Amino acid sequence: MTDWNALSDAEFRTQIRSFFEAEYPEELRHLPHRPKFAEVEHWHVKLHAKGWVAPAWPAEFGGMGLEAAKLMIYYEEQQSYGVNRGRDMGIQMVGPLIIKYGTQEQKDYWLPRILSCEDIWCQGYSEPGAGSDLANLRTSAVIDGDDFVINGQKTWTTMAHDATHIFMLVRTDPDAPRKQQGISFILAKMDQPGVEVRTITTLAGETEFCEVFFDDARTLRANLVGEIDKGWSMAKALLSFERIFIGNPGLAQNALAQLETFAKGRGAFDDAVFRDRFATVALDVEDHAALYSRFADQLKRGETLGADVSMLKIWVTETYQRITELMIEVAGPDGGSLGPLQAGNVGVDVLASFYKARPSTIYGGSNEIQRNILSKAVLGL
Amino acid sequence: MSTEQDEDLRLLRESVSTLLERAGGVARARRVRDDGAGWDGAIWSDLAEAGVLGVTTPEETGGLGMGLPAAGVIAEEIGRVIAPEPVVPTVAMAIGLLHRLCPDASLLEDTIAGAAPLAVAWQERDARGVSDVIDCRLKDGVLTGSKDWVMGLADGAPLLVVAKSTDGLALVRVAGDAIGVTKQTARQSDGSVLTSISFAATPAEVLAEGAGVAPALADAVADATALTAAELVGVSGSALELTLDYIKTREQFDKPIGSFQVIQHRAVDMKIMQEVAQAAVREALAAMENAATPQARSRQASRAKARACVASQKITREAIQLHGAVGYTDEFDVGLLLNRALVLSAWLGDGAYHRRRWLELRDTEEVAQ
Repeated sequence: MTDWNALSDAEFRTQIRSFFEAEYPEELRHLPHRPKFAEVEHWHVKLHAKGWVAPAWPAEFGGMGLEAAKLMIYYEEQQSYGVNRGRDMGIQMVGPLIIKYGTQEQKDYWLPRILSCEDIWCQGYSEPGAGSDLANLRTSAVIDGDDFVINGQKTWTTMAHDATHIFMLVRTDPDAPRKQQGISFILAKMDQPGVEVRTITTLAGETEFCEVFFDDARTLRANLVGEIDKGWSMAKALLSFERIFIGNPGLAQNALAQLETFAKGRGAFDDAVFRDRFATVALDVEDHAALYSRFADQLKRGETLGADVSMLKIWVTETYQRITELMIEVAGPDGGSLGPLQAGNVGVDVLASFYKARPSTIYGGSNEIQRNILSKAVLGL
Repeated sequence: MSTEQDEDLRLLRESVSTLLERAGGVARARRVRDDGAGWDGAIWSDLAEAGVLGVTTPEETGGLGMGLPAAGVIAEEIGRVIAPEPVVPTVAMAIGLLHRLCPDASLLEDTIAGAAPLAVAWQERDARGVSDVIDCRLKDGVLTGSKDWVMGLADGAPLLVVAKSTDGLALVRVAGDAIGVTKQTARQSDGSVLTSISFAATPAEVLAEGAGVAPALADAVADATALTAAELVGVSGSALELTLDYIKTREQFDKPIGSFQVIQHRAVDMKIMQEVAQAAVREALAAMENAATPQARSRQASRAKARACVASQKITREAIQLHGAVGYTDEFDVGLLLNRALVLSAWLGDGAYHRRRWLELRDTEEVAQ
């Protein structure tokens, strides 16, 4: 087994890059939507054979065992080559959860199935009454013999219609004194009576999000991960890496490149007003990257990140939105038209980019919630 | 950046900050402004002794031999207490030009040693503002023409002038008591003074002449631009700190106003702007050290100044707003920071100017590739 951490950063980057260049299917580069598993299966098979499905997992569980510095490089290359992350909820969330809190039986059973994508996971966190205030969740799991019986509703469940399993936060003690208590982590099968999935059509006309209804659905008590009623702190611990990843410059950089292509094709760079607005957003992206590297360097030195990392997410998502809004301005009278717009000899789907940028300030903790966190934890207000 | 360099920078920051705090911090800036003295000669000597003026020049010249990031650290600390001494103009322009063009001149060593601030006159005014060309002429050892926006020129002090000569540009020294000099001063919002000067057959000592002067000037201006950006980062950092302290203690409706969410979110936005500006300016200074071309160097300088102008102006204005009515009084320090941000933003080009320049330089590089 290769010790990736022993390679120099540059050498490691080259190896990752060459593998993507050689093996990643061209038609899947910079995919504009979240694919169903069938669409990316041929790529997943290659990645699995290479042993690269789980860069962050320890090698003993079938991961690459990358240290933070190498992990950042892996994700940077993945992003810049436009490699789709595939159906990685199992890799990103369930695996780390089980590795950290699971029993030996759970590790032996679930981890290989995650790596092979025999099981495809979705995340059951949000509910109609529990969005920003996630601890307000009400979906219940009641012990009945060897089972939990699950009742309630999850929503904004990404790709639930293409998942075999769900990992979910459920209320196991409705009488706990604080709402953060009495929450547990359980794993459940999607294909069973009492689980119903409905897709949600978004403004972009896509159906990547779902509602999941539980009506006396069941899962084994053995599928509880960690201690009962202790799910909240586990869920928070899981988000630590997510917090820098969600603030990475990739989406804004890609949108900026798209804006530049579109604006060149439409001759917008001859206009002094546009030039100033373009320079403004371009510098917003470039300067965000400087702050991002500061946090990435912190990770690379093995330090843990503080709450201040939320600054990245706020800045980059709001910049991302301004870039797509500027594309609409360049489109002029075509600004309300769906589908690719002609610009020189290329087509740019302006509204698709605009729509894609909208939820970025909502998901992963809305920017308002992020500001609350920064205010309290960083500014001491 | 290696940890050893980080440690050097940390020590430098600490020594400059201690020196300036002991000298009186922001309160000293107010005193100097009220006295109309321009700056404090004793502090100038202290700064020179601490190595501040020679931070980027080699040890043979009496300098510290550190790079632009170190000069940036100093500029941030200068900005933090809005020290009125013209450190950035002297370090980046006067010392920057002398060091590049006539490293053996005794004037260089004297200036680094803290003899006196040394002003440089190079910009000229045309109907639209800053002219793109230098018209002030050196012929037969005398200068004729006008210069504008000269920062840090004391009464009766000598100065450096960049003029057009028969062989490209020339860097000359004009004595403090030279004949044919007419000066006009304009007081700025922070109490500092900009001078415009006319020369009519004024005797000048030629320090350097020829093809090397123009590129040296371009590099010096890029340094001054980026270091002014670093100074602005210090200014806005102070404004943010003052504001955070204020909203934690000022009570209305029986609560600190910082407990209101609308205030909190505005404070968070100021904080984010500050962190982005600081990271960007520091990254730009480091990139300038290793820039492959003069254009790439200038582009980083414009990037830094564009960001710092926007961030410092927005942060200082927000600081006034969050202070409420007392923020509008001269008595509160936050206004001094706003005034400094105005002056430093205007000097060497504001945000709009540098965004335009940044994009032009980006286009040029793209064509070159």
